[in-house]
Amino acid sequence: MIERSIIRLCKDLGCCDACCVRYLGLKNPSSYENVHQFVQKYLDKDTNSQSQTLGNEGHADPDPNLLKETSADRDNSPVDINTAQPNNGASESQTIDTKTEVDVGTSSIPPAKRMKMDDVCVTCLGILQEKTWPEAFAMVQDVLEKKRYECETIACALSSPIAAILRERAVSLHLEQACPGYEQKSLMPLKEAWKWLFGRKLADIVGKRLDSGAVAPLLVTLNVEYPDDGQELEVVRALAPALFESRSKQRRRFSVEFTRRSVEQALGGATAGAMAAAGWRAPPRPAARARPVSAAAWHAPLLLGGRYVKLSRALPQTPWLVAGRRMMHSSVQEIIFEPVAAAYGLSPEEGEQRLKLISAGREDVDVRCLGTGRPFALEIADPRRTPDAEELQRVCERISAERKVIVRTLMPITREDLTLLKQGEQTKCKTYEALCVKLGADGAPATVTPLDLANINAYRNTPEGDAARVRLLQRTPLRVLHRRPLHARRRALLALHARAVPRRPALFALRVRAEAGTYVKEWAHGELRRTRPALADALGARADILALDVADVDLPWPPNQ
Amino acid sequence: MEEEKYDILDSIPDLDNLKSFTDRYFSKRYIIDFNQIKNNDIMIMFHSNRIALLSLAPSHFFFKKQEEYKINFSAGKIDRLNNAVKGKSKKGGQYLVPNSVICKVEYADGTSFDIPCGMKGTLIEVNEELIEHPELLKDMPDADGFIAVILSSIAISEATKNELLTHEEYLEALKSCESSHVE
Repeated sequence: MIERSIIRLCKDLGCCDACCVRYLGLKNPSSYENVHQFVQKYLDKDTNSQSQTLGNEGHADPDPNLLKETSADRDNSPVDINTAQPNNGASESQTIDTKTEVDVGTSSIPPAKRMKMDDVCVTCLGILQEKTWPEAFAMVQDVLEKKRYECETIACALSSPIAAILRERAVSLHLEQACPGYEQKSLMPLKEAWKWLFGRKLADIVGKRLDSGAVAPLLVTLNVEYPDDGQELEVVRALAPALFESRSKQRRRFSVEFTRRSVEQALGGATAGAMAAAGWRAPPRPAARARPVSAAAWHAPLLLGGRYVKLSRALPQTPWLVAGRRMMHSSVQEIIFEPVAAAYGLSPEEGEQRLKLISAGREDVDVRCLGTGRPFALEIADPRRTPDAEELQRVCERISAERKVIVRTLMPITREDLTLLKQGEQTKCKTYEALCVKLGADGAPATVTPLDLANINAYRNTPEGDAARVRLLQRTPLRVLHRRPLHARRRALLALHARAVPRRPALFALRVRAEAGTYVKEWAHGELRRTRPALADALGARADILALDVADVDLPWPPNQ
Repeated sequence: MEEEKYDILDSIPDLDNLKSFTDRYFSKRYIIDFNQIKNNDIMIMFHSNRIALLSLAPSHFFFKKQEEYKINFSAGKIDRLNNAVKGKSKKGGQYLVPNSVICKVEYADGTSFDIPCGMKGTLIEVNEELIEHPELLKDMPDADGFIAVILSSIAISEATKNELLTHEEYLEALKSCESSHVE
């Protein structure tokens, strides 16, 4: 019975019960519910003639005959674990001793204050052994208490010592040699077993439901380190000297010598013989256990969609900084962020870092955005809670309270929806209202005649039937030229209508529908003839722009509203 | 809805204080008697983003002469019309020092004078409209008749701005020139 041989061999090497089950290749979570019982069942079958008594420590005295029995199938003589151990201090006094495991299933027993070295699993370095857990639980609890997530499910992830990979491989190679028919591939990964063992317990302790990382948005990451990591990995260098030589030559590319990847690569072609030659016929007793060094918690980002109306002509979209100094005391972004951050359980300072405003374009500081407003999305990273629709409505009210920015609705959206927003920025038309002045040759305001208005309203530089009324060639505006390439772009006005302004003879108001990316201000004043044709060509006189509003952004948003 | 009351007509500014495009976005600086040539006065308009526009100052001797002229952007070996810049960093633009000539004004009578750029920087573009419409140089020197767009580093832009005459200093300097002439 191969299972029995595997367990026996693992136990002899100094594996914990959970690792025994891992090497059996069992991948269903239920197998990890009570690994001690599971392993004991097999060992009992071996030793039922000896009427074992099992304490918490799970004795399974080695039977010399058993060893012979398990390796009897093999051509080679039985592996002598004693001699297989490298000559390090920890293993000197070691005999074949399976007295290495504390029952993982008996959680009611308070954990031993200090683990005896002999007790530390030779392959997981204690990570799967329950008595090492309380320290980690405390770390995770600490993080969760600080961040106060309302999320009811958690997923957990482990950052394990790299030496565990080496040790795992050494055990696998040993099993392969000692137990015909054993397949390395069947090994249950450490991280997976840890999730089922540690994770389940953790979830109970923190009062949440454990789920997979694909489902639970709240991820707890435990970082475990092993003090002898670097020292033990020297063996890996001996296994693939060429690999590490070439890596050390490319210091810039590979700043760290032993990474998960490089170690896995080096171990890829390793044979039992090569491992033995490097002094590792079997993994040595760990000098210490791996210990948790930090825990982190992170909730997957959430997205909101909405539209903002901007009523101020002295409000940039994002904080406007010149040489580190702010030019305006607020911004659309800041007005929106604060109430949103609060609704997601984030402080204003956290909000600044965790929130991201994604908008379909932007308007200038002195341009208002009226009508239904400009489509935008918010990404909230690491939210602590998820407000419901009613709460989101209150968030809108708080944003709008100052009447500088109005947001009417906010609703959850998906990441796919964001493409709609960004495409919209590049393809959708916008309607503008512009207040303009007619200028005489001297540059002074001049009276707008009904003929002037008629000229504008009849103006087109495209053939009748063309969707565009006016086709423009715009050079990159001087105001953005320092940070954008110099190009002449073709843009189009789809509609253009002028009307008189009551009691202001020199002024006229324009309604302009322009293709995405048209610089309307530059078209209106002509920007030193860098935009051609300009409003002046339609009017037949010099003109300038005094004020601009975005009247409408032609994009259905948020989606499924 | 609540925002409907907002209308572009509620944004009418004070028409007595209208500023031109260049006055809105640029600050003007002056160099007088460049290269010790009397009234070889140029004006550089600086945008806060370190873009600068080269123009002739109103006191330039050019404005006193009534004679047909053409603008020639070929300055010695370098043809300014061949200037091309690539990408955000404006690679490939011609390198300029204060003495670099951007163009020549060539009169029908065979005389001509050079227009220097007056600062260090990279030539971004020249105003090609001046070839077809040389009158812009005379009619709208601080607007459509600008000569070239120059980009320099923040440091150079700021240093040049501080070094050159402000509008007030320029007017003052012109006044003292005149009075010294009278004496």
